[in-house]
Amino acid sequence: MASDVTAAIDRIAERPMPVDPPAIEAEFLAIWRDASGSGYDQSSIRLRVLNFVAVGYRQEDAQRFDGTMQVLPARHPCRGILALGAGEAERLEASISARCWRLPTGARHMCSEEVRLTGRRDRAQELASALLGLLVPELPVTVWLMDEPDVDGWVAMDLLDVADRVFFDSAAEQDLASTYQRLLRAARQFELELSDLAWGRLSPWRELIAQCFDGDRIGQLDKITAIEVDFAREHLPSEALLLAGWLVSRLGLSLADLDVSSGERIRATLYARTRGVTVTLTPAGSAAPCAISELRIRTADVTISVAMHAANSHMHVREQWDGEPVHRTVASAPEDDASVITRMLDEFADPAIYADAVGSALALLGT
Amino acid sequence: MTISATPVNPLRAGLRIPRTPEPCALVVFGATGDLTARKLMPALYNLARERLLPAGFSVVGFARRPWTDADFRAAMREAIEKFSREPLQSDIWDTFARSLHYVSGTFGDIDGYERLGERLLAEDSAHGSAGNRVFYLATPPGAYAEIAHHLGEANLSRSPSGGWTRLVVEKPFGSDLESARKLDQSLGLVFRERQIFRIDHYLGKETVQNIMVFRFGNGIFEPIWNRRYVDNVQVSVAETVGLEGRGGYYDQSGALRDMVQNHLLQVLALVAMEPVATLTGEGVRDEKAKVLRAVKPIEDVDRLTVRAQYTAGAINGLRVPGYRDEPDVGDRSLTETYVALKLGIENWRWADVPFYLRVGKRLPKRATEVAITFRSAPLQLFREMRADNPTPNLLVLRIQPDEGISLRFGAKVPGTRMDVRPVNMDFRYGTSFGIEPPEAYERLLLDAMIGDSTLFTRWDSVEAAWEVLTPVLGAWAAGASPLHYYEAGTWGPDEARSLVERDGREWHRM
Repeated sequence: MASDVTAAIDRIAERPMPVDPPAIEAEFLAIWRDASGSGYDQSSIRLRVLNFVAVGYRQEDAQRFDGTMQVLPARHPCRGILALGAGEAERLEASISARCWRLPTGARHMCSEEVRLTGRRDRAQELASALLGLLVPELPVTVWLMDEPDVDGWVAMDLLDVADRVFFDSAAEQDLASTYQRLLRAARQFELELSDLAWGRLSPWRELIAQCFDGDRIGQLDKITAIEVDFAREHLPSEALLLAGWLVSRLGLSLADLDVSSGERIRATLYARTRGVTVTLTPAGSAAPCAISELRIRTADVTISVAMHAANSHMHVREQWDGEPVHRTVASAPEDDASVITRMLDEFADPAIYADAVGSALALLGT
Repeated sequence: MTISATPVNPLRAGLRIPRTPEPCALVVFGATGDLTARKLMPALYNLARERLLPAGFSVVGFARRPWTDADFRAAMREAIEKFSREPLQSDIWDTFARSLHYVSGTFGDIDGYERLGERLLAEDSAHGSAGNRVFYLATPPGAYAEIAHHLGEANLSRSPSGGWTRLVVEKPFGSDLESARKLDQSLGLVFRERQIFRIDHYLGKETVQNIMVFRFGNGIFEPIWNRRYVDNVQVSVAETVGLEGRGGYYDQSGALRDMVQNHLLQVLALVAMEPVATLTGEGVRDEKAKVLRAVKPIEDVDRLTVRAQYTAGAINGLRVPGYRDEPDVGDRSLTETYVALKLGIENWRWADVPFYLRVGKRLPKRATEVAITFRSAPLQLFREMRADNPTPNLLVLRIQPDEGISLRFGAKVPGTRMDVRPVNMDFRYGTSFGIEPPEAYERLLLDAMIGDSTLFTRWDSVEAAWEVLTPVLGAWAAGASPLHYYEAGTWGPDEARSLVERDGREWHRM
């Protein structure tokens, strides 16, 4: 797609407020009246196509929310609401602000609104109630569970009842088996549309891998003998497991034998009818910006390698048929949370594909 | 949208792009030309960088200049650096450039086509493109028939290995009904209709595509999209530019052939067509063709058309020459740079609703819009109350620039009196989605490679469009309708205003 609106951001105001939704709404109205009448920006447009709610329990979540709101509204104009259950303050506190993006053509701005609600973690119920009063009616509600996906807890507070989509990041969890199981159960029980950022980060990988089997090459899928995922973390990251799980589920492979070494290296033998396929997940260094460093798919005829070169924001595809290897490079920078959420909001969710991938990932974990 | 029948790749399920081109080779005839440099190559580069090209993909440029692969790559790199919407990144360019090749030959030289065939077989082997080929004619239209003939002669119109071949041609498709039919017959000797993709880059524009979404994806508009509620429809294309080095071509063509026969009538067809049962390429193209065939024949050319030519004037504060002073234009040229038409569509939906079309060069601003004016409310309650009534509701589909849609309606002015004032409700792509739409050529090239013909013009539409304009071309050639003049920087001749004013209407202000 073409470039986004310019990143030039002006914050119009940041004002502490009582935690009182009607007062907050009135203050927003005042801000927009001031903005249009002050000559600051005669052509600012308040746009809201979404309620974007972030909930977190750590002080640093405020910065993560801030970082996201510097990116997200330029693509999905929204009212952003942060509910932060952190700190020691006795009373709930609120502040509001607004920021604008200058559009590429002319002097027009598009502006979004932000509300921050903070209180002690044990006052999450009150935070949720205030938050519900601040949702813009008739607009979709997206909730981002920034920390541990305490789905049950937030459902209990009615927050997820109103959510159209819930974001979380399974990559932030150590115990992947437990995380996947909990989330799948919650999705079924509460009929939630769950969007895993770890899954979202796999989109470029999935697209490039799928491309290698388009058209006449589709026959190669039946000749796959090995799938090898190298991950760049000390512990097995969710992304690597989901990528392997996705391939296993889409190829309809059944698990026959599994060797898991302390959750860090996996070697599995799977079958598609009578054909054996080995799947290995192997640590290959650590501290790279992206969790997966390389994926190799071996078939009887070709070895396909897809690798992320984070330093130069590219991905490389290498195909080794009989002759000279064929290389391809595409743009693909490692994405931060804001970029992944922004992109995932553009895309249709694929809950069944994700659920299948998670199911196969759980199988690869031996659960 | 239609997709060529191929086995379903299970890895595609749930992906952002559920369809992708099969591995293929794109052959560009006229590879050293302006269109290749300005549009095609930047579009291909951006498709490559966004992972939208297939894994086995190559481009083979074909032109007269005695270039090598290296020369072609160097020229295309320069073109991308100059014209791409995204800056060139060396790493991506390096692998993209490896897929670029060049074959030197003239369009009439059969040996060149044989060398091209050999090159394509080598590409099939190196990239696994399986004999799938797109031949893109980025050449003067006069070369289309010859190239198609030689492609057939060299057995390139059929894939050697069970793959597919497609031919993409740019407008104009013929210069009148007879020449268009002749060209169609020439291409038809070598390619079947389903292999021919007639590109009209207007149809790749986001707002043009959005016309269908707007009409058929919303429940509130289609019930009023007919003669009972619509007073008139205006399709306007205003350009500030003059000829931009195209004097030789334009002076032979004129605005009617260059713009009305393709862009304006295609947009009219999208606005006026019946709903499709399914969103398939053939379904959409069937309905568009039906509308064009229902256009009432223009019998009184003098009364229903206006043609004009610009004289010297000023645009955006700069003096500009008159048309006849442009390079490659004859001193006595009678070529029209402005056209206004009144058309009618003879079907149940549109009977008696006038469709006004206008297009012109050197007008005060650049804009392309479809304006649908609705009938006024049956009872003018607020006529006596300082209202601006009768100001009818107006729906404007802005195609360029600033793509979007606006709806005008009356609203009460705050206060103790019942004053009514027209206000606009605006939707803009740039603000509601926060991004600019991709270049039309990116979408169209991708669709051609995928085999989705929805946004391409089928022969029956082309033929119907020429049939609509044939009486006009004939009358104008016979001098039946005078050529008027307008000063550059104005909205066209007075006669164009009269065309709508005598119906008690006025042109929508752009």
